[in-house]
Order: sequence, then C-alpha cells, then structure tokens
Amino acid sequence: MRLWRLRRAGGETAAATPAALQRGQPHKQVLRPVSPLFIWVTLAAGLALDLLPWGRTPLVPDFLALALVFWNIHQPRRVGMAAAFLFGLLTDVHDGALFGEHALAYTLLSYGAISLHRRILWFPVLSQSLYVLPLLLVAQLASAAVRLWVGGASANWWVGLTESAVGALMWPLVNWILFAPQRRPISRDETRPI
Amino acid sequence: MEYGPPPLFNQGVSARARLAFFSFLAVLLIVIDARVNALDTIRVGVGVMLYPIQRALLWPRDALVQAGRYVTTVQNLTRDNERLRESAAEHAARLLQDDQLRLENARLRQLQGLRERIGVKTQMVQVLYEPRDRFTHKLVIDHGSSDGVRAGNPVIDEQGVVGQVTRVFPMVSEVTVVTEREQSIPVEVVRNGLRCIAFGGAEPGTLELRFLAANADLSSGDAVVTSGLDGLYPPGLPVGTIARVERDVKDQFARVIVNPTGGVDANSVLVVLQVTAAPLPAPPREDGRGEHPGRRSTRR
Repeated sequence: MRLWRLRRAGGETAAATPAALQRGQPHKQVLRPVSPLFIWVTLAAGLALDLLPWGRTPLVPDFLALALVFWNIHQPRRVGMAAAFLFGLLTDVHDGALFGEHALAYTLLSYGAISLHRRILWFPVLSQSLYVLPLLLVAQLASAAVRLWVGGASANWWVGLTESAVGALMWPLVNWILFAPQRRPISRDETRPI
Repeated sequence: MEYGPPPLFNQGVSARARLAFFSFLAVLLIVIDARVNALDTIRVGVGVMLYPIQRALLWPRDALVQAGRYVTTVQNLTRDNERLRESAAEHAARLLQDDQLRLENARLRQLQGLRERIGVKTQMVQVLYEPRDRFTHKLVIDHGSSDGVRAGNPVIDEQGVVGQVTRVFPMVSEVTVVTEREQSIPVEVVRNGLRCIAFGGAEPGTLELRFLAANADLSSGDAVVTSGLDGLYPPGLPVGTIARVERDVKDQFARVIVNPTGGVDANSVLVVLQVTAAPLPAPPREDGRGEHPGRRSTRR
C-alpha cells in the first residue's frame, strides 16, 4: 500500500483547515512506486553537487540537505537518520570539518523532517518550503553550535541564513525534479486495474 | 502497570531513539576528533575513498578554465609578456645583488664558524578547491603525504606566508590560512626587530599581533616577517604589513591589525616548504634548575 500512496497535485492554495479536508481533493494523481535506485542516485547527486568546487561562492544551497529532506518527507521508511548520518560523515571529510559535525546536523535535519512528514504533506508545495526553511536553519545552527562549542570559529550568520533561504526557495524545483520519475504517465494499458 | 495498545504498524525503533543514538554518536565523534585526534585513520580512509570522486568533479571546472585560457586574446598575451619582461628586468638587478649578498653572507658565516642555514626543500602545489566550510578558511592542495607533505609545513606564495598544512591525506592535504583564528606564527617587526606572535584576526582576512604593550613601538605600514623561532617557519618570510594600531587607555595591550601579504584568497599555485621540524628543547623545569639556555640552543 505504501508504494501506491495518494498525493495531491501541487499548486493548490487551500490551507490545511478542516474545511479544506472535507472539500476533498480535486486533483489526485496516482504516483508510480519510487525506485530505490533513484533515491540513492539522487542522494549521491546531491553529495556530488556539494563536492563541486563552490569555494566561497555565496547563495549556494546545500543540495545534499535538500535531497535528504525530500526523501525523509516522502519516503521516511527508506531514507532515515542512518543515511543522513553517513552522508554527513562524507561531507565532513570533504569539508575538512570536525568529524561528526555535519553528521549531527543532518541527523537533526532528518529527525525534524521525519517527525513532520505527515503534517508537511498536507500543504501545497510552496507552503512546504516554509517548513523546509526552519529545518535547514536547524541544521546550520547545529553545526554553528558545534563550532562555537569546540572553539576557534567566527561564524558568519548571514551566509547560513541566505543559504537556507535559497535552499527553501529551491524546494518547488527539488520537488519537481525528484518527483519526475514517479509522475511519469503510466503506459497505456486497458487491462490495467488502475 | 499500564499497557498501551500494541502498535498497529510496526515501524521499528522509534524516531526519537534513533535521534538519540545518532546524535550521541555524532557528538562522541566530535569530541574524540576535537580533543584526542584519534580518528585520523578513519578520516584518511574516507578521504582516499572520496578522492577519485573529488577529482572527477573538479574536471568540469578545470576544463572550463582550460578552454578560457585557450581562447585568450593575443592582446592579453602581449600585455602579460610586457609586464613579465618589465618585472624580470626589475628583479634582475635585485637578484644580482642577492647573489652577491648570499656569497658574502656565506663567507661571513664561515668566518664566524656558524652552521650554514639548511636549505629548505620546496614543492610547488596547486590549490584544488576551497572547502565550503563557512567557519574556517582552508585550501585543499593537490599534494599529500605520498609527496612528502607533512602536517605543519608552511605554505607560501610569491608574496609571503599563506598558511600551514594542517591535515594530510595520501593524495591531498588541507592548508589552514594564516588569517584563521587558530593559526599563530612567531613574527618580528622588520623595522625594530620587535618579536611577537601573529594570530588570525577577529576581522575576517586580517591578522592580529597580540600581547604587545600599549606603548610598543609600532606604526602602520611596518612590515612583519617570520622570526623563525618556532623552528617551522624559516625566518624572514613576509607575513604582512601593519594596517593600524589601536591604543586604548583601558587596555594594557595594543591592538595591532595586520594585513597579510600572501594572497590568502585568490591563488592557484603555492609552494610548500618541507621543513623537518627540529624537536623543540624541553621546557625548563619549574624549580628553576632547568638546563642552561646556551646548551639547549646548541643541541638544536
């Protein structure tokens, strides 16, 4: 059953009030089952985008965090905190950060996404980014807190805030890309039950 | 004793338990890494695994740069050529003088029976990328322990000190730039030989000379070079120039801001000085019966 989850098509402006729930969902689309391969490929792609030599370019969001949040919200039973932790360790090595810093940040991010995933899914995609923004900020705060605790860091708060904001703004795009294979039209087959 | 209803859908370990487990693990790793440095083998292992991917991902940028270089105009080339010729002519005189001075210096040293200063092995390296870390400014260079780079080696460019190798992987290594807060270099002011220690400054991209008396003889524009007292940085490498000196009546120390000479921001080619650090002499014992300072210095 969980493979054939029903999902409202995005772009609807109705808030998640009980009235909206009663009104029923005008556009329902049956999504195709997600392929586990696609999940891991996109996570790896997020990591690869983070590994690109961005240097100190401003406004570059954390692609891996976005992919993690997406899969934690939509497939919480497949992509959990263990994956977030391991990807965090890889990022730590690449960034030369403390071992475990991004792991902690992504674990918190993942926990937030998993515990909010039922609520977030009620909202249209644009409003979902308002939930994604604080999640990304929590991850940034966690790594900043680690640095302040260990000492010897001068945090630049604006960079973290703008990065998270850009990440949240990219949420509709992320949704569109990562949902694309599941939205493919089912091949015409008259004998199919659905 | 109360019993809840059995869970309808078994979801395995609860999210909170997982959170507690992984956060604890992460914090444990952070503490071990920050305090004990016991995780370097794991880090090196992961780093070696990541290396081919990192190199592959650097390829598009390098290809773009190469393409850009290929299509540079003749005008640019002639201009560069002109500039280089001018600077070569400018340096030639200084080089000649330098040769002469070196000869003279060698002779004088021989006369005085001093040991020749050991020439430092240098290695040209290229900056691969800057990590996306917002908290520390590091550079990753394309030589590692397999090329003889060791943690602690100074890194310079043609203008001055850029930083220090802080972590070494087999194929790459991390350089922390001098303007980082944890970095410190023993320096001296060229004008009067005043010795002090330069730390990374509170303002980004600057250095700070700490623990100098408020009435210390310093003024903006003074050149600051390494003093070589730590046995790591060879003496005389330019570190920076004093940008301003703030003397506050409330403080007993002067606040000295230094602008780095080495290009800590934009650089693609750097030089690693493969200094083999002489083991530091044992600190004098607390009871004042330490070794004689003269003997210690000769042992080095």
